[in-house]
Amino acid sequence: MSTAVPPSTAPLLLLEQVSKWYGPVLSLNQVTLELNAGITGLVGPNGSGKSTLIKLATGLIAPSLGRVTVRGRDASDWRTRHSIGYCPDHDAFYEDMSGREFVRAMAKLNGFAPRDVTDRSEAVLDRVGMVERADRKLRGYSKGMRQRIKLAQALLHDPELLILDEPLSGIDPLGRQEMLELFHELAGQGKCLLISSHELEELEKLTSHVAILSRGRIAAVGTLQQIRGLLDDYPMTVRVALDDPKELAKHLLGIDGVIGFDFDDTGRGLIIRARSPERFFAGFQTLILDKGIEVREMEPLDDSAHAILGYLLGGSGKT
Amino acid sequence: MTNPTDPLLRYRPWKGELNPPVYASLAMARSSLRLLFRRKVFWALYALALMIFFFFFYAQYLVVWIQQQAASQTVSVGAVPVRLSELTKFLDKLNLNGSPHTFGNFIWFEGHIVMIVLAFAGAVLVGNDFHHGSLPFYLSKPIGRRHYVLGKLLGIGAFINLMTTIPALALFLQAGLLYEWKSYYVDNFPVLLGILAYGLLLTVVLSLLMVATSVWVRRTVPLIMIWSGVFILGRTVANFLVEVQNFSPLWRLVDLWNDLYLIGLWFLQADFGSNNLGSNPEPWQAAIVVTVLCLACLLYLRKRIQAVEIVS
Repeated sequence: MSTAVPPSTAPLLLLEQVSKWYGPVLSLNQVTLELNAGITGLVGPNGSGKSTLIKLATGLIAPSLGRVTVRGRDASDWRTRHSIGYCPDHDAFYEDMSGREFVRAMAKLNGFAPRDVTDRSEAVLDRVGMVERADRKLRGYSKGMRQRIKLAQALLHDPELLILDEPLSGIDPLGRQEMLELFHELAGQGKCLLISSHELEELEKLTSHVAILSRGRIAAVGTLQQIRGLLDDYPMTVRVALDDPKELAKHLLGIDGVIGFDFDDTGRGLIIRARSPERFFAGFQTLILDKGIEVREMEPLDDSAHAILGYLLGGSGKT
Repeated sequence: MTNPTDPLLRYRPWKGELNPPVYASLAMARSSLRLLFRRKVFWALYALALMIFFFFFYAQYLVVWIQQQAASQTVSVGAVPVRLSELTKFLDKLNLNGSPHTFGNFIWFEGHIVMIVLAFAGAVLVGNDFHHGSLPFYLSKPIGRRHYVLGKLLGIGAFINLMTTIPALALFLQAGLLYEWKSYYVDNFPVLLGILAYGLLLTVVLSLLMVATSVWVRRTVPLIMIWSGVFILGRTVANFLVEVQNFSPLWRLVDLWNDLYLIGLWFLQADFGSNNLGSNPEPWQAAIVVTVLCLACLLYLRKRIQAVEIVS
């Protein structure tokens, strides 16, 4: 008898009012999250519940309250894991094995027939750029090589949902670029990637869609721009470089949403603070067109993931 | 130069079907066996196990040959004539004659090697999965927790049978060839079943105990201490209480290896009066102890493997 994954139109990953206690400690508190195709970054400080959310999504643990489903099927059901590829943060392997042996062993656990194990293992090793180095013992692998091997075993069965915990950690810059391209390619094939990472700059290169966790709750979900727009208490700061900043300053306060501005140190630019980015940019565009003001450069100063996290979580936004 | 098959090995979406998770259990069992046979340090113990087998093999041949062919002949030891049958008197305790006790004794001795290997290998086979948190790799695959446990039990069980049941079957085969083989195999068919049942008993009990203790303590040194406690200290305490303090023979039940031996002899339908087994508990009493131990291991594994989140 063989098992096949039934096609479904249910959300790829759905957490409904999920709470998780570890004894008296509440790790996740009524989290609701729905993910479909595309890349979503999972960010938050240590202890915010990222690891718990990932373990719930992979079915490694069961929620204390609520429900976690993958394509409509309970995540703790072993059959669900046909749809999930998981790349854990820690790399605990059988160190005596070579990378190739490890991936082959994982292929067998996935249920590949003996005749497919070799082909599939070689294919994923090739995909993560480890074919040449796969015969070395795992104990001799660098952190980056371990990451690639972990990714290879997660890709074996071509899962719809890939959950990657710190996948870029320890990978050199060239390798990172390759990994980012691979993630984009997988997302382009309609897969859903949930990527937990502390490296926000890399995450921003990968996706603008993030789920921000704080103290066991989802603090925000959406694109960085959407989240930034909702932070009314923290006016957006934009630096505008132009030849005649005084001319622009005369008209600025008439734009809807602008609450103040300063001349920058060079004297050839303005730093504008505004609420409601959408209204501000619309009004600013109309102004410069109407008045014929020539703007050389325009740069938002605080819509980076770091800045947004800083506003949401307090501190510098370091996760 | 590009290999013409290279494009076939490129990563592409998977369209095939996957086997059910019991295949994963088998794969895990094979991996466990490979890990056991890969460790060079264990090969000294395997060699010792092989020596025990050859000792039984050739000694059985010698004893039966002397009994059948040269029992009345004498040889000179120095200037003293000695009957050939007297030369093998020291082997009488082992009952090397194709009787149920032959196989019971053989498994008894081989079992010591099995216990030592398992005590040393427990951390490698099971403990490391918990100690280093590798369990998520397994359980993120399309298998359930029961398939994980089954895979580990199968691997350890296969090893136990390779070391005990299969050599015992070889001795059974040899014993038949030393006598009139047709009547031996027919008359001793229950012994054959007994060997298989004894092997199954060891497989179930030692596998469960091994997985449970490995999940509990995880590291090699504590694991060796626990196994020493169960199998050596248990025996010493039982001997002290029964032989020195003259307590009831029921106290021998704390000696797990002896319990397994008694049940094994029961399976082999051995004569309990012929091998100084008088001061032992009844096999059914040993069976109760072993059953309770197995249930305790199963309950512990059920609880512990469900609690993976606390570990990782």
